[in-house]
Amino acid sequence: MARSVWKGPFVDSYVLKKAEKSRETGRNEVIKIWSRRSTILPQFVGLTFGVYNGQKHIPVNVSEEMIGQKFGEYAPTRTYYGHAADKKAKRK
Amino acid sequence: MSNDKICVGAISGSFGVRGEVRLKSFTADPAGLGDYGPLTTSDGRSVTVTITRPVKNGFAARLSGVGTKEEADAMKGVQLFAPRDALPDLPDDEFYHADLIGLQVLDTGGKVLGVVRAVHDHGAGDMLEIFGPGLKTTALLPFTREAVPTVDLKAGRIIADPPEGVFPDDG
Repeated sequence: MARSVWKGPFVDSYVLKKAEKSRETGRNEVIKIWSRRSTILPQFVGLTFGVYNGQKHIPVNVSEEMIGQKFGEYAPTRTYYGHAADKKAKRK
Repeated sequence: MSNDKICVGAISGSFGVRGEVRLKSFTADPAGLGDYGPLTTSDGRSVTVTITRPVKNGFAARLSGVGTKEEADAMKGVQLFAPRDALPDLPDDEFYHADLIGLQVLDTGGKVLGVVRAVHDHGAGDMLEIFGPGLKTTALLPFTREAVPTVDLKAGRIIADPPEGVFPDDG
């Protein structure tokens, strides 16, 4: 069942505080968070969060299309390396 | 730096009784395995791959020089390699994983941070997995212009300006 709209999106309060502090200082840093359940809010766009996957913090650059998703969706807890073959990486 | 040959697939056994093989493709477009011309096996043989149809966990394919089920069975476990030169050129700011893996990573002051071990994309952009001296575990560096201002494939190195917290000693 979907979450009731009147409640608004769920975000752990410490995530909001850390994001606000990082935005104020303007430092180029990875904001380490453990809250995989928190929703990505519009004010997080442009920040880089280090989302814990049980082992380490996975850097997640928040962009507009990620709003409304949860942080945990971008930090998988299992690693599959596979083969490089002809796969490409784009520098943004 | 990059290898001359890149592993693009592997033969996982025979398929049917008419000399076809079951093929696992590692390429970004799995059906595009045959587009790289004749492939070479790990023992140096050259084979032409013709994909006949998709099957569970891969493709059925015909290989030149393989006509019977026994010959196809004997190919089980063989890896297929394409020459690096067969891959098309990419625009600026796009790189093959195979080229990035193994590059040395230096910070802006010239200090060695490590070597690229893998490239990941979990949906929030590509990132480089780096392992280096003094690291107990690998570090993940976002593959952005801010964090990775220079990629010099010829020199085999990357200049990185990592954000605070990516490497343990700076966080």
